[in-house]
Amino acid sequence: MRLAPGTRPSGARQLSVVREGELHQRLLARDEQALVELVDLATPWLLGVAQAMLSDAGDAEEVVMETFQVAWNRIETVRDQGIGLMPWLLRVTRNRAIDRLRARRRHLTGFARAEALGGIGVSAVEPTEPNEATLPGWHVHEMVRAAIGSLPVEQQAAIQLAYFQGLAQSEVAERLGIPLGTVKTRLRLAFDKLRGSLAAVKDWII
Amino acid sequence: MNPHDWYVEHRIDFITRILGAGEERSFADHLRRCDECTAAVRDLERELALLPMGTAPVHPRPGFRRAIVQSVLGERHRVGRRWMVPVTIAAAAVLAVGGYLSERGTAVRLAGALAGRTEELMALRDSLSIMRQAARVLQARIEMDGHEGGMLIFADNVSHRWNVVLHGLPPAPAGETYQLWFICSDGMVRGATVTSDPSRPVFLTLGMPKEGGTVMGAALTMESTANASGRPRGKELAHLML
Repeated sequence: MRLAPGTRPSGARQLSVVREGELHQRLLARDEQALVELVDLATPWLLGVAQAMLSDAGDAEEVVMETFQVAWNRIETVRDQGIGLMPWLLRVTRNRAIDRLRARRRHLTGFARAEALGGIGVSAVEPTEPNEATLPGWHVHEMVRAAIGSLPVEQQAAIQLAYFQGLAQSEVAERLGIPLGTVKTRLRLAFDKLRGSLAAVKDWII
Repeated sequence: MNPHDWYVEHRIDFITRILGAGEERSFADHLRRCDECTAAVRDLERELALLPMGTAPVHPRPGFRRAIVQSVLGERHRVGRRWMVPVTIAAAAVLAVGGYLSERGTAVRLAGALAGRTEELMALRDSLSIMRQAARVLQARIEMDGHEGGMLIFADNVSHRWNVVLHGLPPAPAGETYQLWFICSDGMVRGATVTSDPSRPVFLTLGMPKEGGTVMGAALTMESTANASGRPRGKELAHLML
């Protein structure tokens, strides 16, 4: 049985919150088994984010490793950020991936980079295997995909390239063949809509 | 448009990191001076915190999870080893004089043994994962009536089945039974009842439940045989999350 997009299972949310709190406490206590559990839980999602942006498995793995180093060494700062453990890890991964992309741009121009590293498209949001539905967090993935899917197609394309693949806005304009100002407008409209539609899932932690 | 309006307009661009590097630096500088923008940015970050989950997950290659843990803990263990030499020397010196720090030596030895066992366990998990095509291998230690046993779950994403091993558990008391549960997004779903024999492991293969939503984990409880339906009421012996 699969959750309908936009629904939030209250029982699961309670489990998630309890689980996150317990895991966080154990990480603060330097429980190594808690790290093993966190790695089990979060790695597929972090790897997905890093690989979609970097288009390079080796680089993506390095970013994910760095993320867990940061998590282990700075776990006490998570609560200060006002978000849960999983969103925090996602943010660290994405930020590190963007930093790497920017470093690469010193050597390659944006579109050439994307072409050189296997091209860019809108397929990265698609699930790679249907049986991944058993992964913890899959229902969140489905809800986020549903939210993105509800955007106009042109906004989906802009979000896909700018947010999920880390292209600069000028690169998005080049890729889509539209003026930079149009890219900015589409992104702003898209993010505004996503803020509303993701409100139902913003409390999800793990 | 006054300068502050520009920052208001670009808050969302800042948190999604689609600003250029120069604009991003300028925005970060502004946040140090502007409480209003700082609060607004924090709210936006919360609202879009799970947006990266729109990316499809990628299964890590075999051994990668283990490599992460070794990489993270290895640094700490190396630091530990740097400390271990003087600690051991000091302990030896003190032992030679009075011997009263023997507990410390024991603690260091046990810590070393534990690290070794953890590494062995992770290696076994990797091996089993590859051999059984299990995407996840979970284990829980269970202590009951002086018996030390455990539950192992091999979650096979190819066949959508769990191979479950229960070992070292004493027979259930009269009128009670071991009950395995699926922890699902909509609540607990009854799995299998288990008859245990401490002299040999029990093997089960379970398909995923058709109801209850996404499977998130498993639990083992000791239930009264009278509680043959409905939610768990007995003592929880193990709780594992995927």
